[in-house]
Amino acid sequence: MTALRTTLVDTATSGKARLASDRWRGAPYLLPALIFLGLFFLAPLIGLLLRGILEPTPGLSNYAQLFANSAYSKVLFNTFAVAGLVTLISLLLAFPLAWAITLVPRGWGRALLGIVLLSMWTSLLARTYSWLVLLQASGVINKVLMAFGVIDQPLEMVHNLTGVVIGMTYIMIPFIVLPLQATMSAIDPMVLQAGSICGASPWRNFFRVFIPLCRPGIFSGALMVFVMSLGYYVTPALLGGAQNMMLPEFIVQQVQSFLNWGVASAAAALLIVITLALFYVYLKLQPESPAASATAR
Amino acid sequence: MVFRKRIVAAFCASLIGSAAAASAAADTVNFVSWGGTTQDAQTQAWADPFSAETGVTVVQDGPTDYGKLKAMVESGNVQWDVVDVEADFAMRAANEGLLEPLDFSVIQRDRIDPRFVSDHGVGSFYFSFVLGYNPSRIGASKPDSWSALFDTKTYPGKRALYKWPSPGVIELALLADGVAEDKLYPLDLDRAFKKLDAIKKDIVWWGGGAQSQQLLASGEVSMGQFWNGRIHALQQEGAPVGVSWKQNLVMADFLVIPKGAPNKAAAMKFLANASGAKGQAEFANLTAYAPVNLDSVQSLDADLAPNLPTAHEADQVTLDFAYWAKHGGEIAGRWNEWLVK
Repeated sequence: MTALRTTLVDTATSGKARLASDRWRGAPYLLPALIFLGLFFLAPLIGLLLRGILEPTPGLSNYAQLFANSAYSKVLFNTFAVAGLVTLISLLLAFPLAWAITLVPRGWGRALLGIVLLSMWTSLLARTYSWLVLLQASGVINKVLMAFGVIDQPLEMVHNLTGVVIGMTYIMIPFIVLPLQATMSAIDPMVLQAGSICGASPWRNFFRVFIPLCRPGIFSGALMVFVMSLGYYVTPALLGGAQNMMLPEFIVQQVQSFLNWGVASAAAALLIVITLALFYVYLKLQPESPAASATAR
Repeated sequence: MVFRKRIVAAFCASLIGSAAAASAAADTVNFVSWGGTTQDAQTQAWADPFSAETGVTVVQDGPTDYGKLKAMVESGNVQWDVVDVEADFAMRAANEGLLEPLDFSVIQRDRIDPRFVSDHGVGSFYFSFVLGYNPSRIGASKPDSWSALFDTKTYPGKRALYKWPSPGVIELALLADGVAEDKLYPLDLDRAFKKLDAIKKDIVWWGGGAQSQQLLASGEVSMGQFWNGRIHALQQEGAPVGVSWKQNLVMADFLVIPKGAPNKAAAMKFLANASGAKGQAEFANLTAYAPVNLDSVQSLDADLAPNLPTAHEADQVTLDFAYWAKHGGEIAGRWNEWLVK
């Protein structure tokens, strides 16, 4: 701790020029990763995006076709709405879970974390089908509720938005729990104690001390879940209704059934652009990120 | 930079290597289908006897992926020789120049039902969309036509319909609305969607055969549009499901050869065998899909025959694959708009 603090002070007091050169000193080590990404990710991606303006004839006809069809904007809206909803609910559920894992004695915490991870080892398809068995009208949950007389008519929990959100939230929870738990376990409990000693009520202590300290974990987990949700295919296809079509399904339809690769890549390009724009806003909001440092500090 | 050149060189070398390997083993046919019991039956009914007879090894691959097929043909690196595809796709792909024209001096065209053969594809099997229902979910009266699907008063419950914008749903809505069988095409989309609007909130969409069976057998839906083979399989397992063959909608799979297929000549022979009377009858007996060869009907199992579309030909309405091949894209545009509205 002391050593770390000394380094921090050192860095802070040293000249700005040295700081800039330090920042890039490790850059050559990035080369293998950059070459790999360039060859196997960036080049194909650019190829894909080019199709959107080159096929079937060069020009913006694919984009015109997308915007002429009212389905596309609805599908795009669905995609972001579902991703946002899933992120929010996973966050609300994962936060107490991560906290519990941090608070309980170490062995129990590991066991709990193990259970969270265990769900990730099972096939995605099997897990999605299990939700179908649980949620459908003649499924376990509805049968139990009806047997106890809680409801007369089966609840509609699948083949609609509810089904998609339940299924995807379940899948996404580990991706928030992991970074959040890592952040939480690194928080010094003395800080919270100091808060109460200084007279903060428990609520105030939670919102003004604990949450801000958890922010990096919340931000990185939420971002990961949001971006993953945007591209999810299997779960929405099985648990959702056709009315809630999301972009991946739309793209699959264009690629597979109609060989309309131009339109498909235009649709994908728009998703990438919107996601990047949102990502930029996100970086701006997060004080720890380089993009925000210019304005926030 | 040198490093990168080496990678490219190694990559090229491996490509050349695999090309050489492919040409060395000339006596193979790569067969691609949908996997599952269908492809098992295709192996048993077509591939095994073909290999025994000709000495050509049939390599099973899959599942069918239209995007992959197009990518292979466009890149000139075709690894598939025979592909099982849906009929409307076979025609669309032919229009786009993705398929080899078939050699009808090898394949006997005149014994194949003319509905299921074109210059670039020959029927793999045919099947019908039928009205299936779960008797425990509906009243005493049995539904006997597509219009029952739209009558939620007499027959309460959800409806299972095929999810993809492909031949079937639009046609059954129009038939239920009273459009004459011979006046179906060109499709009146406005009228079809208006009809479908009435039950839109009651529709559960299915995307695959297993899902459709699960929906009907569990009673999640009370009736719907199903592949006849799947209903038959449920009945074989003892599930209490009923079926109406009235105006059963005929759809087919085609076998096609991608343009530039490495073993074209052997592939033609394979198609000749698969579409022959014997291959078609055996496949039908294994799967409860109907044979496309006119001479296969007499070789069908006696207890299976009444459950095949071939026994309900008088009630058939054949879906217009060529129309869908041409207008599929625009129909899908309208379909999606209606769906998410």
